Order: sequence, then C-alpha cells, then structure tokens
Amino acid sequence: MAAQMGREDVGSALTAERAREEANQVARTAAEIARAVEQIAEGSERQARSLDGTLNSSNQMTASLRETGMQAESVAASAEQLVSAVNQMAASVEQIAANTLALGSSVGQTAAAIKQALASIQSVASTSEEMATSAEQVTTSMNEMAASIKSVSGDTTSLAAAVDQSAASVEELTRSIQGTASNADDLSVAAEQTASSVNEMGASIEEVAAMAENLASSVEELSTSIEEMARSIQGVAQSSKRITEAASGAASSAEEMDRSIRSVASLAKQADETTTRVARDAEDGGAIVQKSIQGLSRVRDSMAQSATVMREMGKRATEINSIVDTINLIAERTNLLSLNASIEAARAGEAGRGFSVVAEEIRNLADRSARATADIAAIINALQEVTQEAVASSNDGLRVADDSSRLAEEGAIGLKKILTGVRETTQIVSQIARAAGEQLNAGQNVVSAITTTVNQSKEVTAATAEQARAVDTIVQAASHMRKTAQQVSQAMNEQGRAARELIKAAQSTTSIAAQVRRASSEQASAAGQIAQAVESMRRGATSTSRALAEQTAVSDQVSSEAGRLAVSIANINRAMKEQAEASAQITNAAESMRSQTDQIAKAMAEQTRAIRDMSDGARNVGKQINLITRANQAHSADSAAILNGLSDVRQITERNAQGARETLRGTESLLSRGQALSSIIDGLSSNGRPGKKARNKKKAKR
Amino acid sequence: MAEDQAQEQNASEPFILFELAGTTYGVPSRAVQQVELVEHITPVPNAPPAVEGVIFSRGQVIPAINLRVRFGFERALHDLRTRLVVVNAGSRVIGLIVDSAREFILIPPGAIQPPNETLAGLKGKYLEGIATLGERMILILSLEEVIDPAGVMATAPEGA
Repeated sequence: MAAQMGREDVGSALTAERAREEANQVARTAAEIARAVEQIAEGSERQARSLDGTLNSSNQMTASLRETGMQAESVAASAEQLVSAVNQMAASVEQIAANTLALGSSVGQTAAAIKQALASIQSVASTSEEMATSAEQVTTSMNEMAASIKSVSGDTTSLAAAVDQSAASVEELTRSIQGTASNADDLSVAAEQTASSVNEMGASIEEVAAMAENLASSVEELSTSIEEMARSIQGVAQSSKRITEAASGAASSAEEMDRSIRSVASLAKQADETTTRVARDAEDGGAIVQKSIQGLSRVRDSMAQSATVMREMGKRATEINSIVDTINLIAERTNLLSLNASIEAARAGEAGRGFSVVAEEIRNLADRSARATADIAAIINALQEVTQEAVASSNDGLRVADDSSRLAEEGAIGLKKILTGVRETTQIVSQIARAAGEQLNAGQNVVSAITTTVNQSKEVTAATAEQARAVDTIVQAASHMRKTAQQVSQAMNEQGRAARELIKAAQSTTSIAAQVRRASSEQASAAGQIAQAVESMRRGATSTSRALAEQTAVSDQVSSEAGRLAVSIANINRAMKEQAEASAQITNAAESMRSQTDQIAKAMAEQTRAIRDMSDGARNVGKQINLITRANQAHSADSAAILNGLSDVRQITERNAQGARETLRGTESLLSRGQALSSIIDGLSSNGRPGKKARNKKKAKR
Repeated sequence: MAEDQAQEQNASEPFILFELAGTTYGVPSRAVQQVELVEHITPVPNAPPAVEGVIFSRGQVIPAINLRVRFGFERALHDLRTRLVVVNAGSRVIGLIVDSAREFILIPPGAIQPPNETLAGLKGKYLEGIATLGERMILILSLEEVIDPAGVMATAPEGA
C-alpha cells in the first residue's frame, strides 16, 4: 500500500515537472507573441506614417487636380459654374485639411495612449518579475520550512507520543491534499480558460492575418489604381500638349483669318469706290446715250429730207432728159433737113452751090448740138444713176438710223438696269464693308481669346507636370506601403505560427492539468491510507510540535511574503486598471479617429460631388477640353478610390491595432495564468515533499 | 489753082453716106431722092423678110427694105437716128432702112477702087467699089443690085 502511494508520489512529481515545463513553454511562447505583437505595433505605426505620407501626397495631388480643374475652367470661360464648384471644393478640401490635422492630433493621442499602455505593460512586467522574486522567496521560505519539517520528521520516529500532533498534522495534510485537489481543479479550469483564451487569441490572430491579407490586396488595388492614374495623368499631359499645339495652330489660323478679313475689308472698300465710279460712268453713259438718241433722230430727219430732195432732183433730171430728147430730135431733124437741102442743091448743080454750103454749115451746127445733147444725156443719165444710188443710200441710212435709235434706246434701258444693279451692288458692298468691320473686331476678339487659351493651356501643361510629379511621389509611397503590408503579413504569419504552437502547448497543459487532477484524486483516496499510517507518525508528534513553532515562524515569513505578494498583486491590479484606462483612451481615440475618418469620407464625397460639378462645368468648355475633362473625371474617381482605399487601409490598421491590443491583453492574461500555474505547481511540490520523505524512509526501511 | 480745084470739084461726085452695123456705106447723091425719118411703116402681108412694109411719102407709096436683113445682119430696133433713104434706081423708087444717114460728101473718082475679085464673086455684085478718105473706108453700093427684085425676093429670112 505504501509502495502504491510512493508510485503515485513519483507520478505526481513527474507530472508537476512536466506541468512546470509546459508553463515555462507557455511563458516563452507568450513572450514570442508579445515580441510579434510589438513588431505588429511597429508595422502599424510605420503603416500609419506611410498612410500620412500617402495622405499628404493625395492632398497635394488633389490640390494639383484642383489647379488643373481651375485652369480647365478658366479655359472654358464657364467661370461662374466652375468657380462656385471650385469654391465648394476648396471649402471641402479645407475641411479635409482640418480633419486631417485633427486626425494627426488624434493619432498622436493614440500614440501617447499606446506608449502609456506600453509603460503600463512594462510596469506589469516588472511587477510580475517582482512577484516572481517574491515567489522565489516564498520558495526559499518553503525550503527552510521543509528543512525544519525535515528535522521534525527526523524526530518523528523517536516521538511516537506525538501521535495526536501527528494526527493533527495528518489532518492538516489531508486538508492540504484536498486543497491541492481543489487547486488542481482550479489549475484545470485555469488551463481550460488559458486554452480557450489561446484559441480566442489564435482566432483573433487569424482574423488579423486575414485583415492583413485584405490590407495587402487593397494596397495592391490602390497601387494599381494609382499607376492607372499616373498613366492617365501622362495621357492628360500629352493631351494638354496636343491642345497647346492645336491652340497655337488655331492662333496662327486666327491671325491668318484676321489678315484675310483685313484684305476683305480693303477689297470691300475698293469695290465700293469702283461701284461708285461705275455708277457715275453709267449715269454719264446714260446721258450720252440720250444725246446720241436725239442726234440719231436728227440724222434720221435730215436723211429723210435729203432723200426727198434727191427724189426731186431725179424728177428734175428726168424732165431735163425729156428736154434733151426734144433738143436731140430737133437736131436730128435739122440734120435731116440740111442733108435733103444738100441733095437738092447738088441736083440744082452750079446754082445750088451757095445753098449747099449753108446747108453744110447748118448740118455741122446740128451735129454739134446733137453731140452736146448726147453729152448732156450721158451726164443726166449718170446724174440719175447717182441720184438713185443716193436715194438708196438715204434709205439705207434711214433704216440704219432707225436701227441705231432702237439700239440706243435698248442701250439706255440696259444702262438703267446697270444703274439699278450698281445701286444694289453699292448697298451690298457697303453692307459687306460694315460686316467686314464687325468681323475685324470679332476676329481680334478671337485672336485674343485664342492667345489666352494658349497661355492657359501652357499653364495646364505645367500643372499636369506637377501632377505627374505628385503622382510619382504617391507611387513611391504606395510601393512603400506595399512593402510594409507584406512585412505585416509576414509578421502575422509568424504570429499565427506562434499562436498555433501556443495552442498546442495550451492543449498539452490542459491534458497535464487533467493528469494532475487525476493524481490529486488518487492522492485523496490515498489520504485514508495515510490516516492509517498516522499511528507510526504519532511518535514523531512531539518533535513535530517542537518544529511547529519554527514552522509557525516560517509561516509568518511566508505570510509576510504573501502580504508582499498581495501588495504586488494589488500593484498588478492597479497597473491592469491603468492599462484598462489606457485601453479605454485608445478606444476613445480610435472612436474619434473613426468619426473623423467618416467626416473625411463625407468630405471626400462632397469633394467628389464638387469635382463632378466641376466636371459638368468643364464639359461645357468645349470639345478641345473634353480630353482633359474626361481625364479629370477619371482622376477624381481614382482619387476617390484612393482615398476610400486609404480610409479602408486606416480602418484595417485600426483593427490591426485593436487586434494587437487584444493579443497583448491575451498575452498578459496568459502570463498571469502562467505565473499562477507555476505558483500552484510550487505549492504542489512543497506539499508533496513529506510524501517524498516518507517514500525515502520507506526505501531505507526496505 | 482755083481752076484745078474747081476741076477736081467738078470731077468729084457727091455721095450720101450712111451707117449700117458699124460700117459706112456710100450711095451717089443723084440716086437719092430724099432722106426721111422712119415714122410709120405699114406692114405688107406675105412680103419677103427684108421688106418691112410700105410708107407713104410725097404722094408716093414706097416699099421699105431693111438693109440689115437684106445684107444678112441682125435686125435692130428703130430709134431717133434710124433713117429711110429713098433712092431712084432705074424706074423704081425704094426706101432703104439704115442705122443712120447724116453726111453729104464729095469723093474724087481716084479715091474709089474696084472691089476685090473674091468679094465681088459673092452673092451678086452689091459693091461698086471701096473709097478711102484719109482713115475712113467707105463701101460704095451698087444700088441696082441691092434693089433688084429678084435679089430682094431671094433674100432668105434670117438664119436661112
């Protein structure tokens, strides 16, 4: 029976050893977790810093976008709409800036609270160390007590009379075993609690890991959208460059147009002068045509007159002809008479000789007059022919004069038509001159507007270049963020591994606690057997009673140590309270941060709306600015996406911080439970020592 | 001289000159009864073509022969200068219708040459001779032959 008890003692001791090892392992794992949590806290801080940088870059980019929007708005000259939209946006952006400042201070508060929490945790750690020293001191006291009890035990063999005292001791032992059993129960419960809290912590760590992965993916998305935005901004830069070129081309075209309008104006002036001259010439021509019409009618009259005269002359010539015929006839008859006279004279012979001479002379005269009349007849014939020709010519002239006067009248009508046409032309030309003058003014306005557009396009290009630089900064910050997120993911993976190990350790602790409880119940059952052995113990009762005094003194020391322990525990409790307060502050700060983030999100929504208004305004600017407007909308969307992503990232970071705080709290409770476990194990071992002694004694007996 | 001249004049014979188809003909003044204007010719039925008709002059009915037709020339219209030369040949009085007759000249006998044999052999002996006065050439007609009734009757119509 004693042997059985010894085996059980040996088993209990072995179990206690293993429990201690496990507790130590738990403590180590907790320390690892604490390191990992610190790494996470650092990662979170770095992330917060890079987020701040990203926010600054985003704000810069937003300001740059706003500049671009303002440029585009002034280009479009839809100033009213755009100015109000930009004012809204400016107010919203100022709100964002104020919110960001508040966020910064809140983040500072958070950092201070976290520092406080760290200090508190450190004080907890130091208190724990103190507690550990106290526990060691307790252990030493217990050792002293054990030595004292050993001397008591040595005397027990010779002190059978002290059975009652021993019995009391046995009862005490029984109670102690019962206490041990209850402690074992407590231990088991504590181990289960530890296991469950470790499980919780593991779940929390898994959650944090998932969140870190989410964070990494959202950072990836963010980087992608930032790169897209960078490409889009480069596209905007090219577009604005092209716009500048197009505007320059338009400027040269407008100058050309101005020149051509000037030449049109001068041409219109020349045309005006020319038409005026033409009108004057046409009027002069009309007067001349009228005069020639009058002259032609006079010509016609005189021609008709001369024709009449010529006909009269022809008539006279005919009369002359008949007279000439008569003369001719007379001449012929005279010739005939003289010829017959000559014949008669010749017949009369010598007597008719004188008569013959006279007849000869008469015949000569008659012949001369006949010749003269023949000449006259020829002349008259020629005259009549000429008269006929003259009459024909006069008729022709009359016809020609009629034709001419008709043509001249037609010419006068044509000239009148020309005059009306010229008057209309003059009016049109003066209208053209007036329109050309107006066009000249408009063309100069166009030239100045296009020059303004060129300047503003250049400013847009410069602003876009600044935007591109800002986007480069953002891209760098995003890549930094990506690296940080990857580190956080890695740390989370390590933490998960550590948590899994911890879970394994907690499970083994639980099984060990079960073994302890089993051993304790076995011990309790063995207590009855121990009562039976009281008889043999009674002999050492006297020395036991003697030793009791020492033991009491040691117990006093123990109780004083316990008082110090209590004080330490009170300190721990206070520190824990402070820690709780700090946690509450952190929670508050996180709350305010969240609300500010919400405000930022709201302001960003307003900004988005304002930017959309601005885009609407910019859409009115015209086809040339369409490219920039579209790109600006894309930028606005990207900025909103980036800011949303940033707020997501911030939330995730906050949740990470919370998870880290939970992990810290879990680690703290784990530490305290490990301490409690080790103290319980120490108590167990000190209680188990009499059993060990008896066992040794039994060994010696054997 | 005067005697010579007178002798020559005595020897010279007066002629009446007339024109026919551009040629100057001469007939002796002693054969010419008178010269008249061609005024009114009464046509005679079935008369030979050369006979235009008859005229009434100084109480005589005289046949009028168109000398153009008689000589084979083309017929011409009568005008103010057309003349009827009334001649005595043998016992007959005949009127010759010529283009004109305006001259009375003396031609010395030496100026008249007999006609060429070849000419004289043709269609009867119409020409007595050819007289040359300076540049002018005058054909002297043989009236007997011209007014010979057989010749006049035999005279073919134009174209025959």
